[in-house]
Amino acid sequence: MDIIPQLIINALITGSIYALVAVGFSLTYGILKILNFAHGHLMMVGAYLFYAFSVDMGLGLPEAAIATVVLTTVLALITLCVFILPFDRYSQMLPLVTTLALATILESAVSMGFGVNVKSLDSGAAAESLEVGPIYITKLQIVIIGSAFVILSSIAYLMHSTSFGRQVRAMSERFVAAQAIAIHGPRVKLIVFVLGTILSMYAGIMVGYETNLQPTMGHGYTMKALAAMILGGLGNIWGATLGCYILGFVENFGVGLDFGAYSLPAGYKDAFAYLIILVVLLVKPEGLFSFRRRAA
Amino acid sequence: MEYYIHLCILVGIYTILAQSFNVTIGLGRLFNLAHVAAYALGAYVTALGSTELGMGPGRCMLASALVSGVFAFLLGGIALRLAGDYFAIGTLAFSSIVSALLINWKSVTHGVLGIPGIPRPEFAGVGLYDNSEFLVLTLWIALVSQILLYFLFKSPFARVLRAQAENRLATMALGRDVRLANTTAFFISSLFAGIAGSLFAYYLNYIDPTSFSFSEMIFLLSIVVVGAPGSFWGCLAATAFLVLLPEPLRFIDIPSSILGPMRQLLHSVVLLAVVWLNRARLFPSQREV
Repeated sequence: MDIIPQLIINALITGSIYALVAVGFSLTYGILKILNFAHGHLMMVGAYLFYAFSVDMGLGLPEAAIATVVLTTVLALITLCVFILPFDRYSQMLPLVTTLALATILESAVSMGFGVNVKSLDSGAAAESLEVGPIYITKLQIVIIGSAFVILSSIAYLMHSTSFGRQVRAMSERFVAAQAIAIHGPRVKLIVFVLGTILSMYAGIMVGYETNLQPTMGHGYTMKALAAMILGGLGNIWGATLGCYILGFVENFGVGLDFGAYSLPAGYKDAFAYLIILVVLLVKPEGLFSFRRRAA
Repeated sequence: MEYYIHLCILVGIYTILAQSFNVTIGLGRLFNLAHVAAYALGAYVTALGSTELGMGPGRCMLASALVSGVFAFLLGGIALRLAGDYFAIGTLAFSSIVSALLINWKSVTHGVLGIPGIPRPEFAGVGLYDNSEFLVLTLWIALVSQILLYFLFKSPFARVLRAQAENRLATMALGRDVRLANTTAFFISSLFAGIAGSLFAYYLNYIDPTSFSFSEMIFLLSIVVVGAPGSFWGCLAATAFLVLLPEPLRFIDIPSSILGPMRQLLHSVVLLAVVWLNRARLFPSQREV
């Protein structure tokens, strides 16, 4: 079973990318109580913007990164102020419709601008593979796992040791009560939403370096993040993060291990996320790591 | 002429598909994102039945409707336990599982290659090989489906669905079985989606998973929302409007790789505009007594 260490590393890589997507998704759900079905599409657009700046326009890494962050911020603000906030006081269903519409708008706009074929970012020297015992790992993959750890730790610090984090947690627990003690709701929403979008943009760029980009990739990542969030309990960011790594392990071991006649083709990798959603919703809808009352 | 016939057939198929979607999302306000999955199942059952098993058109359509209907019980059994966001996520997951199966279960569905060579239906030795003949069949089936659905929309059953959308508890207090009503709505809705899928497979002679993608779902959603959810005639008008809306784009000289995304863009922009205009009336929250 010398394949197992390699599978563990692959699971960590997949889990790290999912976690970067899901943490932002979970944060925004916690505070807005709105599922942003365009979250994965925003990630895809962020990655394509970076592609446009670094490959098409030939900017250096820092300039392209800054330009992408600025444009992603603008995009996040537009999403929040045009597609979500004008609707969420009327009905919980309306923002679902508008973010689904936004998802299609983004997907078709990118397909028209960049074409439907896959694009990939060239990671140059970082693509070279290191051999550590039974494991092959590229420098890029080390960067992905490491940066996910650093970013998640920073979010943990932000959420649990700063005044801003306390405001966010207060708002996601009891919105009205938080407003009653003079937390400025709109500002916190804005900051959290932009932060979440930038995190998923970073994940998108890493996906572009590690594999490739496609206009249709957004929906898949939205579903993966949703699966992780359902697993950990909607709005519970650490549950979602843990859920992401669990999903990474399930996907990689599910298709990587040899079960003889029952081995699954690699194409079924994505189906695990959907199955997890259904099973958890059936058995324990409040999520595995949540001790609050049932919300569903 | 051939082109207009093509458009009429498309509108005919989509009226069945959209009106049946209107039963769950419009009457019952059940945010069902798995309608395309039922449609896809109908199309694949007909495709496989007529190519691999050599089944006749009548049996194929019946099988398509039944398989989609059974799928609805499965879907309803899981999703109807959930509420709000969870309901949307659950149905979306269901529909994603179906598309994952269509793409990956290669020994049956041929994966992304799709199923070619679906023969046009033959009734008592008379084949509907010509599009104009197929149009007649489509219009008959569409007409019968619409009449059946019209009676459904006017029935007491529809009133129960509308009532539980407005106030679930009050409806239960009046002695109506809300769970049963919702499951039945899912079943009927999927049944007609299966028939629409069957017609679609017969019409195109070839199906592949791209016809049943996520953007198809958005298209159906925009038809129902533009026609006002729960409105019978609104849904019919919106179907004709939205199916025909992107057609003038064909006459502008743009490459076909741009045409598809442009059509999607147009639909979602229309959807967004209508949601914006009607934001206070669409999908009202449960009414307080």
